Amino acid sequence: MEHLLTYVTFGPTAAALVLALLPERWERLHRWLALAVSLGLFALSLLIWKGFDPDITGFQMVDGPLAWIPQLGISYHLGVDGISLLLVLLTTLLIPVVILASWTSITEHVKGFHVSLLFLTTGMIGAFLALDIFLFYVFWEVMLIPMYFIIGVWGGARRIYAAVKFFIYTMVGSLLMLVAILYLAWFHHQLTGAWSFAYTDMLKTAPQLAMGTGLLSSPQLLVFAAFFLAFAIKVPMFPFHTWLPDAHVEAPTGGSIILAGVLLKLGTYGFLRFNRALFPAAWEAAVPLILVLAVVGILYGAWVAMVQPDMKKLVAYSSVSHLGFVMLGLAGGTLASTQGAVLQMVNHGLSTGALFLLVGVIYERRHTRLIADYGGIAGVVPVYTGIFLFVTLSSIGLPGLNGFVGEFLILAGTWAGHPLFVVLGALGVIFGAVYMLWMVQRVFWNPLVHEENRSLKDINLREVLAVLPLLVFIVWIGVHPTTFLSPMEAAVRLLLAR
Amino acid sequence: MPTHSDLVALAPELILILAAGVLLLVEAFLPRIRHAASGLALVSVAGAAWARLALPLPGAVWSGMLRVDRVTAFVDLYILVALFLSIWMAVGFLRRNGLDRAEFHALLLLAATGAMVMAASVNLLTIFLGLELLSMPLYVLNAYLRRVDVSLEAGLKYFVVGAFASGFLAYGAALLYGVAGSTDLATLAQSVVQEGRMTPLLAVGLAMFSGGLLFKLALFPFHGWAPDVYQGSPTPVTAFLSAVPKGAALVVLLRLVISMDLLHLTNRWLWAGALVAVASQFLGNIVAIVQRDIKRMLGYSGIAHMGYAMVGVIVGGTEGAGAVLVYLAAYTFMNMGAFAVIALLSESEREPHLIGDLAGQGWRRPIPALALTVCMFSLAGIPPFVGFTGKFLVFKSAVDAGLVWLAVVGVLNSLISAFYYLRVVYTLYMRPLPRREPAFPAGFSIGAAAATAAVAVVLAGIFPAPLIRAAEAAAQLFLG
Repeated sequence: MEHLLTYVTFGPTAAALVLALLPERWERLHRWLALAVSLGLFALSLLIWKGFDPDITGFQMVDGPLAWIPQLGISYHLGVDGISLLLVLLTTLLIPVVILASWTSITEHVKGFHVSLLFLTTGMIGAFLALDIFLFYVFWEVMLIPMYFIIGVWGGARRIYAAVKFFIYTMVGSLLMLVAILYLAWFHHQLTGAWSFAYTDMLKTAPQLAMGTGLLSSPQLLVFAAFFLAFAIKVPMFPFHTWLPDAHVEAPTGGSIILAGVLLKLGTYGFLRFNRALFPAAWEAAVPLILVLAVVGILYGAWVAMVQPDMKKLVAYSSVSHLGFVMLGLAGGTLASTQGAVLQMVNHGLSTGALFLLVGVIYERRHTRLIADYGGIAGVVPVYTGIFLFVTLSSIGLPGLNGFVGEFLILAGTWAGHPLFVVLGALGVIFGAVYMLWMVQRVFWNPLVHEENRSLKDINLREVLAVLPLLVFIVWIGVHPTTFLSPMEAAVRLLLAR
Repeated sequence: MPTHSDLVALAPELILILAAGVLLLVEAFLPRIRHAASGLALVSVAGAAWARLALPLPGAVWSGMLRVDRVTAFVDLYILVALFLSIWMAVGFLRRNGLDRAEFHALLLLAATGAMVMAASVNLLTIFLGLELLSMPLYVLNAYLRRVDVSLEAGLKYFVVGAFASGFLAYGAALLYGVAGSTDLATLAQSVVQEGRMTPLLAVGLAMFSGGLLFKLALFPFHGWAPDVYQGSPTPVTAFLSAVPKGAALVVLLRLVISMDLLHLTNRWLWAGALVAVASQFLGNIVAIVQRDIKRMLGYSGIAHMGYAMVGVIVGGTEGAGAVLVYLAAYTFMNMGAFAVIALLSESEREPHLIGDLAGQGWRRPIPALALTVCMFSLAGIPPFVGFTGKFLVFKSAVDAGLVWLAVVGVLNSLISAFYYLRVVYTLYMRPLPRREPAFPAGFSIGAAAATAAVAVVLAGIFPAPLIRAAEAAAQLFLG
């Protein structure tokens, strides 16, 4: 199929427009329609996977370039490589999960929720597939608006604060990135005499930016820093992470899944696609800083997660820790560590997405997420307990499940260059096991002291169906990671050769 | 004696003046058919726009005092669109307030004619004439809600400040005449370029002349009137005021700057211009954060927006001018849309237009609320709306001219502005409806104006190429 990438990107927009025209009171129709669209989208991305040739280096199934603002050399241009392929698959897998998870928890403005979610989907997929840096920026910013609404309208008590904080924090980074993009385009014009925002053109000219001596006298470092800030806030890397716990705690379950599962990945993806690929010299110079911030993030996130009384906040801080691993792998710079980092992006989306979903399941029943309000419920909700434990084990890296593969590749690949950081990072794996298992113990085992927990209902069929696809991939990646490692190998090799 | 082609070149202006005259006669002698006045006004605006598009653009006319070229055409169409939307909103607005009079539309048409003359002028005298024709009707229109105190205050304030501005401009023009011995801009530019440096006489003349224009643009340090006048004027007049005089004044400023190539003539121009731009941005955006009245807030935001546009003026050249023209178009659409929704969602003109009054309306009145939301995000410069396109081009022109820091200041200001634009959005959608729900009178035409503007904001944001092409083609001609 031609234009497959355009369909998968703008299919959700078309669906959102259709939904927007239907009356608000047909809530069931909105849910079912959105679910059907999201499943169709997943099918489309499976088609992309099927048509994807792992032996081709560079971008495939390219759509465009189609002149968009020809005066400035801006075009509509999409393409997929092994890295974006996995992330698009992850995104389209998570959308139906989000819709199912929100089936009964979103009761107000049902139409608005699904319209926002579908617009958000276009933004996310588009940002992964864009091959024009201006187009990328547009998709990147477009995501802000629906996510702002999802947190702010359907969120918890302090939702407005969290939504505005999310919006402003992200904007801080992205606006400076805009100036950097303008600078890159200007620089390309200086070198070649032509205006272009094409990613492939940037790959040629951006590395030629002068390195200079200090930060302030080095164009390459300054432009690098602008991109760095945008992505570091999104990841979020320590110390830019403070928006994340607020956003997660206030967001509805579906919002948290999408936020942790996909939006954070846009940060790490951006590091790889732009910082790493466009500015090799600046990246080389920044590796020590990234290593330090990554390890601090791993340990700090783990320690802070350990003392959280709120399950959702605990999972939120665990994200800071896990994304630290991804950054460690990117900074490691070897084939194994980079592949591990990309795989870990997917793993984190699966495991943390599932954890947020499961926390949402129990929250819907008891309207509390405090660990202290539970205890001893393993006997009351056995199926739920089993699934929760399974996901926990995946999150802490049990061999045979997905988390192990990613963490192992990252640590093994980084060992050769930076053994000290690997040792510190490995400590994070241990702390990760501590906080997760300690939470599981306090919630599911320990004596049952709260009477109201005796009548808790176990996870229902819809919720199982929502989490099941995640479990399938958790096992699949754990048992046979080659399925996912081989398509991205060519892309990662190409990137590291720069 | 004007020749035939002189008259043809001014056909759009003549159509508007003719229509204004007819409207005044209707009001005087046939008050029974005054409800048809707005229709006639809209038809005349459409006719003027058609005339501008269909008739040839001869260049210099009226003995070289006016230039009717693609620059003029771009700005004329911009003014006519703003005028059309203002009249459209005014239809419902006047009916609600029991002020449905033909003279209102006649005054708007005359003001727009003044702006168009000003935009076409390449002579200090005609610039002044245009400015006066633009300002006089506005003094009346500001105070049109004559039983509302704030409206009278707005009229008086705009009049006093406007008189100062005219004085500045006239005095500056006199000094510039002293420099060149001619009121013709091209002759003036020629003598400046020959001189090759900034003489004291030229500096003072330029400062006073552009000071008069800065008043009209509500730029620092001549911005003080804007919030009060925005707040007090009838909302359709505020909408008109926020777009049309600014467009005309910016074009005059661009003609001046580009013809003299000020950026390369003296670095004092850069510093003076940058001071105006940067101070306006910070002041407008920071003070807007604490406003509770949405019209006042947009008044401050307007100061900031002209601060962004000023960046393009400083850069000058084809690129800077093109960016400014796109910015103007963008600003008009989003501002018009915002004011139309404000006019629609306000219970009474006697009360302040508090942002808090919009609570929960996002779900109660989805279409106007969506239009306002689109305009707010666009004003904040978020893609894919046209406000982003404008900012993108202005900042791009700064980066290309080596003034990266001006672009950085601009984006930081966009960030500050997000605070107050977001407040409107979350009040609409995330705050609960108040217990006593406001009763908004119906206003189909206001809603239609709002929807049109919002659709334009989205479409021009997603497909900006035609707008950019038109602006660039026009900007080529600034160089003569």
